[in-house]
Amino acid sequence: MGCKVIFDITMREKKNSYLPEFSCGYALPEKFKRKELCLPELGELDVIRHYNKLSNKNFSVDTHFYPLGSCTMKYNPKINDYIAGLENFSALHPLQPIDDVQGILEVLYTFQELLCSLTGMSAFTFQPSSGAQGELTGMLIARKFHELNGRRPSKVIVPDTAHGTNPASAAMAGFDTVIVKSNDNGLVDINSLKDIMDESVAAIMLTNPNTLGLFEKDILKIRELADKAGALMYYDGANFNALMGVTTPRMMGFDIIHLNLHKSFSTPHGCGGPGAGVVGVTEKLKDFLPVPIVVKDSGRYRLNYDMKKSVGKLRAFYGNISVLLRAYTYILRLGGDGVKRVSENAVLNANYIKEKLKDDFKAPYDDICMHEVVFSCINQKEKGITALDIAKRLIDRDIHPPTMYFPLLVKEALMVEPTETESKETLDYFIDIMRKINSEVETNPSIIKNAPVTMPVKRVDEVRAVRDMDFRWHKDGD
Amino acid sequence: MPYILNTENDRQAMLRAIDIESAEKLFSFIPASIKAKEYLLDKGCSEFSALQKIKAQAAKNTTVNEKKSFLGAGWYDHYVPAAVFDIISKPQFLTAYTPYQPECSQGILQAIYEYQTYMCLLTGMDVSNASLFDGASALAESVLMGLRIAKKNKVLVLKGINPQYENVLSTYLGGTTYIIEEVKTIESAISKLDDETACFVFQTPDFFGVINEPDEVISECKKYGIITVNVVNPVSLGILKTPGERDVDIACGEGQPLGAGLNYGGPGFGFMTANIKYVRQMPGRIVGKTLDLDGKTAYCLTLQTREQHIRREKATSNICSNQSLNAITAGVYLALMGSDGLSNVANICYDRAHYLYNRLGEIKDVRFSVKGEFLNEFVWNVKDAFDVLACMSDKGVYAGYLLGNDYPDMKDSVLTCCTEKNSKADIDFFVNKLKEVLDGV
Ligand SMILES: Cc1ncc(COP(=O)(O)O)c(C=O)c1O
Repeated sequence: MGCKVIFDITMREKKNSYLPEFSCGYALPEKFKRKELCLPELGELDVIRHYNKLSNKNFSVDTHFYPLGSCTMKYNPKINDYIAGLENFSALHPLQPIDDVQGILEVLYTFQELLCSLTGMSAFTFQPSSGAQGELTGMLIARKFHELNGRRPSKVIVPDTAHGTNPASAAMAGFDTVIVKSNDNGLVDINSLKDIMDESVAAIMLTNPNTLGLFEKDILKIRELADKAGALMYYDGANFNALMGVTTPRMMGFDIIHLNLHKSFSTPHGCGGPGAGVVGVTEKLKDFLPVPIVVKDSGRYRLNYDMKKSVGKLRAFYGNISVLLRAYTYILRLGGDGVKRVSENAVLNANYIKEKLKDDFKAPYDDICMHEVVFSCINQKEKGITALDIAKRLIDRDIHPPTMYFPLLVKEALMVEPTETESKETLDYFIDIMRKINSEVETNPSIIKNAPVTMPVKRVDEVRAVRDMDFRWHKDGD
Repeated sequence: MPYILNTENDRQAMLRAIDIESAEKLFSFIPASIKAKEYLLDKGCSEFSALQKIKAQAAKNTTVNEKKSFLGAGWYDHYVPAAVFDIISKPQFLTAYTPYQPECSQGILQAIYEYQTYMCLLTGMDVSNASLFDGASALAESVLMGLRIAKKNKVLVLKGINPQYENVLSTYLGGTTYIIEEVKTIESAISKLDDETACFVFQTPDFFGVINEPDEVISECKKYGIITVNVVNPVSLGILKTPGERDVDIACGEGQPLGAGLNYGGPGFGFMTANIKYVRQMPGRIVGKTLDLDGKTAYCLTLQTREQHIRREKATSNICSNQSLNAITAGVYLALMGSDGLSNVANICYDRAHYLYNRLGEIKDVRFSVKGEFLNEFVWNVKDAFDVLACMSDKGVYAGYLLGNDYPDMKDSVLTCCTEKNSKADIDFFVNKLKEVLDGV
């Protein structure tokens, strides 16, 4: 049942003739030519069959419950894809005259206004292609802001529960990262924060709710401490799905934020991307955004490059436009009432799972959780079954595993984010399966240890992959 | 309520199970002072209304298909076979996430492994990652990689890099103390190489379309242990000499020409391939081949200790989500085209661009200030180029990109591109309209 590598499929002689045959009579001189290019020549049906076989080996949101914590694997509405594919959007070159692209600029401008209302920010850039690139943008803005105020603070504070991209982004922007500890309730420890918050701090990066799925209740106190030190507050919007329409990052005191449109705003994840990590800032930081931003002068939209304080550009052109179009469609569909219902349902779904599973799997924090819940499999671990084993067993029951071993603070962590688009029926199925797996820990541990057995492959030897370093196909004998 | 399946009954049952009266109460520990008092946006609307509204906005655009477009400058209007759309719209590609769990993601992983192979074959390099964001950030990441390898401070850039890429490079290095220096010629590049230089960066064909071959600089770089970074257009590699043949250390660029379509500038994807000895310094995800417990071939993400989720602030990059679907698209595109198809695309681009170049040469007010062999793009000069381009657009031709936007000393220079979508008739139309414009008709 294995699937041949595409390079091993029988070669065809036929050309697919996708292109017009016709020549004006010019040809590249030999001396510029490459050595022979050896890509397989395949028929269209060969290619279609190949990729269909591959696609059938994957779990996806459209086919499976996918409670991958922190990734917000909600349903991706099809109207969004349809709109992104409209020829009047998809057949635009980024260097066309402004008068010919007023429609897309209007969309971007309107979308920006909607995002400002939803977050309390004053302006957005659409350039960052992911959350991490948004974080880098934000950190560069923080750096430049301080520099223009004659300061050079060298540190950025991140909690021990932070996603790996936070410290990595701060480091790329040239900052030293300082870790603030969490307290026993899973929240930023205010006393520890006081100890490290001083004038050498450029910014603190937080996600709220944090990666334990808990709301940082002391957010205004944190704001006060940051203010005193002259530090900016950066919001990692990965978890915004819990709070849409309930509060805004601005109300919580944040100066710079990114939103992951591929999470809260329902754009499909595409095996890992493209996404969009749009960045919003308050009024005082507007001029620091990457160029260009979309502006409107007397009814006409244009791209403004004239921003003296701008950090520069993060990518060529303006952003992952077809991702932005999907998110824009989504937000128009939902409106103010809809986004609030999204968050309420996302939080309700997570709490339901937490309540129903907390007797079987340790939930390290008692409080009501937000849109996701982190369990610890330490009790199972004592009996020889790890979080990884449980994750693999879920695959056999047609469920994509939760995020494993993150946040690092929780031992044997399984981070479950059901999202609002899942029904009680699906949640009950998941709960039932999780309980069954927990009883298998006693009754039939080997079935867990050997899982999965229903997939095209059994457990994959990742250690061997590191050792073998086989990153590409080679022709026999090469 | 769109996209929510639970009924009011379901919700009530769930609330009872967690012993809470209302959904509002789930948010009770949020301080009242920071709770939104009212809806933050207008009310939502039906799918039909949303579609009407957005279609009305879409109608305000004029697409490249409504005029004759000769725009390139880093973003190319190539023909994409219909089968590409079919494959990449499959839900098991479109709505899956990063293949963290290899057992239920073998299809994604194999597709990426094949993509990596395709990029290695195209560029003539040893190893490819699974994609970066775009060509510009791929260059910035390549330079950062070079700086890590060489452990020195200076980056030398040969003029002719896409100006947007240069801008992104300096943004990415904005928080560091590294020095970027631009050199205009191969001679000055050689004279500037020294023990402080970490990286030498060049693009070919360069931004002006010229197939430049800085061979002497590359061999000179080897003497100093300087990492060479080559920005390339992947379609050009259907026929042009490869980074591998040039013996550079890192190749990178924008993958958009490989099946992505235009989409007003995004998404495409960034690609990066390198010499195998540097693989541990590469940014981004990499798929490797291995075995499962039964000894069957299997694939998984590998060398993850380079990455942010493990190495955090010491990672080779902060990148997490990338542009996988576009990378897979490139694989599908190349599978459909084959060697023959891809070299055909490049040959047709060459053919059409040279036909246009020669036809423009017939016009006495047109000059060519940039010399050198080119592939699909070239620079021509005309007085008052800004106005000429505006008149051409009015006559139904996007005649090119005004280089004065980026280079103050090139305000009368236009960068014009041909692809396989431009027919001979389109080109003749271009030339006729240009004659009219210059004759003041
Ligand atoms: C909490 C958190 N922050 C940041 C990120 C990074 O987002 P992206 O993958 O879009 O770069 C993620 C995504 O995995 C996340 O879960």
